[in-house]
Amino acid sequence: MKNGFLVFLISLVALGGSWCGFVLAPVSQLGADKQTTILNSSDPYPIGRPGEANQGLQVYRANGCAACHTEQVQQSGVACDVILTDNGKNPSAVYQACGASGMVREYRAWPVRLPITVVQGVNKESADDAVDKITTAGGKAEIHIIATGSDIARGWGRRHSVAEDYLYDSPVQLGSLRIGQDLADVGARLPDANWQLIHLYAPQSMVPGSAMPPFRYLFQVRKIGPVPSPDALNLPKEFAPPSGYEVVPTAQARELAAYLLSLRADVPLRDAPFTQPLAVSKP
Amino acid sequence: MSDETKSNPPQPSDTGPAVMRSTVPISIILLTLLLLFLGMVYFDHHGGWFDSQVYGPYTSADQLESYQPRSGEAAILAQGKARYEQVCGLCHGLDGLGKPGQAPPLAGSEWVDTKGFERLTHIPLAGVNGQLSVKGQMWSLSMPAMGAAMSDEELAGVLTYIRSSWGNKGGPVTADEVKAARAALGTHPQPMSGDQMSKLPE
Amino acid sequence: MSVNNTTNPSTTEIDRSCCVPLLALFGGAALWLVVGSVFGLIASIKFHAPDFLANCAWLTYGRLQPAADDALLYGFCLPAGLGVALWLLARISLTPLRGAIIPVVAANLWHLGVLAGLIGIVIGDSTGFVWLEFPRGGSVPIFFAYLLLALWGMMIFAGRRERALYPSQWFLVAALFWFPWIYSTANLFLLTGPVRGVVQAVIGWWFANNLLVVWTGLVGLGAAFYFLPKLSGRPLQSHYLALFAFWTFILFATWCGIPSGAPVPAWMPTLSAAATALLIVPLLAVGLVGWRTVWGAVRSNWDNGPFCFIGTGLDCFCLAGLMLMAMGCPKISPVTQFTWFGPAETQLRLYGFFAMTMFGAAYYLLPRVVGIEFPFSKLMRVHYWISLAGIALFVVPLAIGGIVQGLKLQDPNVAFADSTKAMLPFLRVSTTGLLFILLGNLLFFVNVIGLTFLWKITLLKKFLAFVKSPLEPGSADASLRHDQEVQA
Repeated sequence: MKNGFLVFLISLVALGGSWCGFVLAPVSQLGADKQTTILNSSDPYPIGRPGEANQGLQVYRANGCAACHTEQVQQSGVACDVILTDNGKNPSAVYQACGASGMVREYRAWPVRLPITVVQGVNKESADDAVDKITTAGGKAEIHIIATGSDIARGWGRRHSVAEDYLYDSPVQLGSLRIGQDLADVGARLPDANWQLIHLYAPQSMVPGSAMPPFRYLFQVRKIGPVPSPDALNLPKEFAPPSGYEVVPTAQARELAAYLLSLRADVPLRDAPFTQPLAVSKP
Repeated sequence: MSDETKSNPPQPSDTGPAVMRSTVPISIILLTLLLLFLGMVYFDHHGGWFDSQVYGPYTSADQLESYQPRSGEAAILAQGKARYEQVCGLCHGLDGLGKPGQAPPLAGSEWVDTKGFERLTHIPLAGVNGQLSVKGQMWSLSMPAMGAAMSDEELAGVLTYIRSSWGNKGGPVTADEVKAARAALGTHPQPMSGDQMSKLPE
Repeated sequence: MSVNNTTNPSTTEIDRSCCVPLLALFGGAALWLVVGSVFGLIASIKFHAPDFLANCAWLTYGRLQPAADDALLYGFCLPAGLGVALWLLARISLTPLRGAIIPVVAANLWHLGVLAGLIGIVIGDSTGFVWLEFPRGGSVPIFFAYLLLALWGMMIFAGRRERALYPSQWFLVAALFWFPWIYSTANLFLLTGPVRGVVQAVIGWWFANNLLVVWTGLVGLGAAFYFLPKLSGRPLQSHYLALFAFWTFILFATWCGIPSGAPVPAWMPTLSAAATALLIVPLLAVGLVGWRTVWGAVRSNWDNGPFCFIGTGLDCFCLAGLMLMAMGCPKISPVTQFTWFGPAETQLRLYGFFAMTMFGAAYYLLPRVVGIEFPFSKLMRVHYWISLAGIALFVVPLAIGGIVQGLKLQDPNVAFADSTKAMLPFLRVSTTGLLFILLGNLLFFVNVIGLTFLWKITLLKKFLAFVKSPLEPGSADASLRHDQEVQA
């Protein structure tokens, strides 16, 4: 190319293209303030974090927690379970319908105590098929949608994270490394503020062999006054301060703990559907 | 390491190194075109066509729709809610509080919160014309038979949704009940007035 | 304007015109390089001893690691890249740098901005966005410093005597305006008027990709396409292939960046995945250009320091590109995501490709620009081998370890703690690699500071010689003194 202006123009088009694609388009698609509702309910989602938890997000940001922790649940697939809810007037026909397609092992007694899972982990077409067979035989069955993936199996969340989960976060702390656990659902998994505080002060006391650095500067070690403080941490012996002293969390530590407790990813949404489980027995 | 200036051979020109002008191998251009094509096919299969609701692992809006939990009461309510918002909510309000001069409220209405279902099923199937008293207020409007075009299941879902929302505690309405009401009204039902409605059993 | 050889400035004149700005840029850059390596080493040691310096809030891992990364990128890579770009543009355009005071001011403003930014991160004022952690006190000076330097580069380019374009100029001109656009977008949309929710993450990924992959690629390749033919004495093979590499690189690489499985609508990661697959085309093109240009000349240039640095840099570019493609492939990404594989690729790109290219360019141009040889030029060979060993010891264990970690993370039956424990032996080797890298950086720093010192001594000698010299008749000062005597 001889023309300098042409170089500039082509570069402009190239960068302009990706700017439109990854800046303009996401802002126009997702940028508007939009709450959604929890699946099959009219409850809004998300509701904003309480004040202390919002401050906690700033403590999280200032200390760079996102350098080791992620806040995004991943889902590698979706599967259906078929739950039998009613045997109808002809239990043996329903049993045939369940058993004819090899769905259940031999039951010792039929009809069994309902509801019961008769098919596990299939795609939607197979599940619909099974429900049709059961309905034709006079029974009633439900399809439960289950999210699958290693994050789900580890109990790190019930379904993958979506844009609505981060609606009120600024800055969004998605994280990019899992040196520590994923925290998107930690409020449901570890809802004890005390556990969080002790873990912040001395991670190795709660998780032996942890690589997490102790955040002792978020706490105050002070002499026990006439009455021990109700906030004082109950630490194991190796990590406890010398006798006569207590460890009290500062405001920052409490805010961070409140923030961690507010992190949840366990409600079904239209773009991340799953069926809330009932008490269902398995074959 | 020898000083570079001593050992470097003389440069072709002061502007910089010389440049050959041989052509680009055709194979790399063909590779680009092939990859562009494959990329487009990949986007077609996995991109969800820019839908804001489709997240991985779902690959299309239809697939996401098919995986919405449907069975049981929850599903009927969801469908009923969707239909209500499309058809009835424009006049009766998404919050069931009605609009003055347009439609009476449904929340806490004695026409909705009934023990039975006959009166309620007649309203959308036949329509209303004339005076009707709702929650102590007199309404003098006409309502077309908005439910006549719906199927029995759809209307049953809408009525079930109305009867269980905004504080209403009525039980569900089944498709069979709607079917029976439709049959009782005949092929071309006339809109009923408030007096005629009150004469119907609850 | 026709090329008139009799009025063209000499190469020496062009080189000397860039002297002070380049020394200002590279002096600070060498310092930040060492600072960043020290931070990175301390951060890495914390994995083997979590209690190491844990009581100091300023030195906690979550603040130190981003500070180390930003010191490398904003402290070293950007100013060094700008310096090399300015010099290259001046040389290729046969136009000396005029008004050097402005680029010098800009360079100092830049380094002050980096200082403010790094202090901001360690005291807890980080913005929370990866690769954009500098608070406003750091980001604003940096932005305006870049604008000034880019403006000077564009002026050189627009006023060039040689109108026909050499391939490096395309790359460098594109790089000059790339950064202001992405940096201002990122700062405006994420910090000034923050967009809602996860869009912040999307813009953050777009920015990081365009800075780390596209910008460094543009400047590094621009430098490589000049130096490799020049140092080996071979012509660049070829003009059209380099043009093809340029077009496909800026078209495809700018769309990479959104990771698969991100909590955003599926069309975004899908577009990125497709773009990452298409990245093979510019990688092949660049590899072909490099290989065809230097084929047969590698052995004879074994002793040539800058040639070795830049050749290794180009090899690392291709390797880092392959790693990036692996990370973007939806079949492989579940294993490599959230693991050390990502930091390994970043380091290979920033240090193995870009920093090595900048080292080679600096070792070539700084002596010519200043007019003095490096004080410890023998250290160049030591620097090269130590840095190469450091890169290998850092990147390879982290890449392999990252895959091991990823496989364990994918298996829900493996406890999470095991995946972290499995990384420790790999981290030990990579910490050693960081030590080597730090040593190599110190050698570079010593050479650059030594050169600056020698230059200042030369200036001082000139000044003293000027002060002490007897006034000659006919000189301006003599006539001035005569007038003063007459008036008195």
